[in-house]
Amino acid sequence: MLHVKNLTASIGGTPILKGLDLDVGDGEVHAIMGPNGSGKSTFAHTLAGRDGYEVGGTVTLDAADLLVMTPEARAAAGVFIGFQYPVEIPGVNNMYFLRTALNSVRRARGETEIGARDFLAIAYEAMDLVEMKRDFLNRAVNAGFSGGEKKRNEILQMAVMQPRLAVLDETDSGLDIDALRVVASGVNALRGPERSMIVITHYQRLLEYIKPDFVHVLVDGRIVESGDHTLALRLEDEGYADFVNHELDHVPGRPMSGAPT
Amino acid sequence: MTSATTAALASEVSPEAQLERIAAIGYPTKRDETWRYAPHAVLSRLSFGPAGAIDGGMLSEIDAQIPALDGPRIVVVNGVVDEARSDITGLPLGLDLSTPVPGAGGAADRIAAHPDSGVEPVADAFVALNVAFSGDGVSVHVAAGQHLDPPIHIVMVSTPAGTHNTSCSKLAIQIDAGGSATVVETKLGAGSEFGGANTRTIISMGDHATLEHIVVQDVPSTQVHLSRTEVTQGVGSELRARLFNLGATYGRLAYDVHLAGEGARADLSGLYFGSGDQTLDQQISVIHAAQNCTSRQAFRGVLDDGSTGVFNGAIEVRPGADGTDAEQSNDNLLLSNRAAANTQPRLEILADDVACKHGATVGQLDEEAMYYLRTRGIAVDEARRLLINGFADQAVHDVGIEVLRTWITQRLGHDDE
Repeated sequence: MLHVKNLTASIGGTPILKGLDLDVGDGEVHAIMGPNGSGKSTFAHTLAGRDGYEVGGTVTLDAADLLVMTPEARAAAGVFIGFQYPVEIPGVNNMYFLRTALNSVRRARGETEIGARDFLAIAYEAMDLVEMKRDFLNRAVNAGFSGGEKKRNEILQMAVMQPRLAVLDETDSGLDIDALRVVASGVNALRGPERSMIVITHYQRLLEYIKPDFVHVLVDGRIVESGDHTLALRLEDEGYADFVNHELDHVPGRPMSGAPT
Repeated sequence: MTSATTAALASEVSPEAQLERIAAIGYPTKRDETWRYAPHAVLSRLSFGPAGAIDGGMLSEIDAQIPALDGPRIVVVNGVVDEARSDITGLPLGLDLSTPVPGAGGAADRIAAHPDSGVEPVADAFVALNVAFSGDGVSVHVAAGQHLDPPIHIVMVSTPAGTHNTSCSKLAIQIDAGGSATVVETKLGAGSEFGGANTRTIISMGDHATLEHIVVQDVPSTQVHLSRTEVTQGVGSELRARLFNLGATYGRLAYDVHLAGEGARADLSGLYFGSGDQTLDQQISVIHAAQNCTSRQAFRGVLDDGSTGVFNGAIEVRPGADGTDAEQSNDNLLLSNRAAANTQPRLEILADDVACKHGATVGQLDEEAMYYLRTRGIAVDEARRLLINGFADQAVHDVGIEVLRTWITQRLGHDDE
């Protein structure tokens, strides 16, 4: 479904992703773990189409070339990114935003648009999933939301958009244990044979709630090790130091000073 | 102007006396702080003279523009009341809505007799021209203790034609003690000739009176619009002013509030939304002359293309006006690198025990927000529209009349909700 081959990304000439390979099959959940600065968020935003990166390699989703598409075209193709830091948009009503988003991708796909009344039913169902109160829809997008509310709003959007590929960037950061449980159960409810997920996290904690099919360790812009969920447990015990050092040992001509902090 | 009204107004407003005054004080220049950003070359092309009725040829295009509000309506075209377009039948008890009736002591008398009590005389040639040449005055008088629900709609239309290209008109609003009302002033224009309008509104609010005053300026971009409002507020009175400065090549909304009675409250908000080479100028002044008054000025500007926005906002706290609580904010969104926003707070505080704060921002569309919306499938144009509307809606939201809110929303180019 998703094929990432030798993906590189740099900002202003500074390389961040240095040849990343990843294959994600239908319905699979892949966790990507790694230390700070290893390129996790850059990977997510390279998939979503953020401006400002020089990107190389290939990424295909259902055989379509993602890298040539605008962010909105990628959304229409089925990509959804859950932001680590969801953006506050004062003055834009959450419900109107959600309906505009859904109808934008439907329009792009040649599907009929959904009217306000029918949309409400879709929104309510999605809100129940993340235990959100109804008045939430009438607030401005993320404006004045707590950290937990913002993350729940991301999952709410995902539930409304029903993406083919969900990329969740550090969805667990800043969440207390209750919010984490709500977010994770929302994500789990959205798992299905038609939907694949890439869950990016620094900590193993999230993976106790969202059990991945595969775990990958991202260090210095490359995946250095892949395995099943037991790899996450190993990381929890041993940390990333092993991988960091190990990786750097095998890069010719690179001094040890490049270790991410 | 009929001979009878001329006579009624003569003591104060003989055109000759006003023209002498103009000769003495001269026209504003760039050196006048409140006229610094005005296009003086354009203003010099305005010509003035007595109000006169015009034939109705170009007025058909106006009918479709007028917001369809419930309630009484008076339409003034080039300074002359257009009775066919007005509707003042079945006025509710306690409302006196009048246009001059020769010899009967209607609005003109009231306007002429209106004491500009407390409001500083404005030594400004355009005010003098208004005094000299404003045609039929319109008077809104709400009796003591009366609460009027439907908005009172005053529509001022300018259609440059005839011997001079600029018309003057005048409106007096008086809310007696304890009365409350909503008055909507809509400024529209027709035709494609250069010209303009120079309007003046004088508002007097008795003790504990309440007024929502909404001004919507949307004349064609071939025209100049000069609007000036002077408000005097009594004890415990409450003013809510909502100012929308949308049309005209030079659109100017000057709004002076004099808080004369203890505990009076003035809440002013507005939106200017410019494109092309428009200059949209807000000249706002609030004078705290009594104790324990509160005021808020909250103005937003959206400026595209080569348009210019001006916000010149004064808060003046007179000696003895202790307990003053005043705030001011001005936020601007620039959509083009040729657009400009000029914002200037002017604070003069001569009392103790004063809470006064002000802030101004000038920014561009938030790139992170654009990206966020686009990752949700929303295309660039739509995402821009959403963010611009989100910014502007915080001003539109303050308007309590749904029909008018919708009208403004559609005018801004989005008709959702």
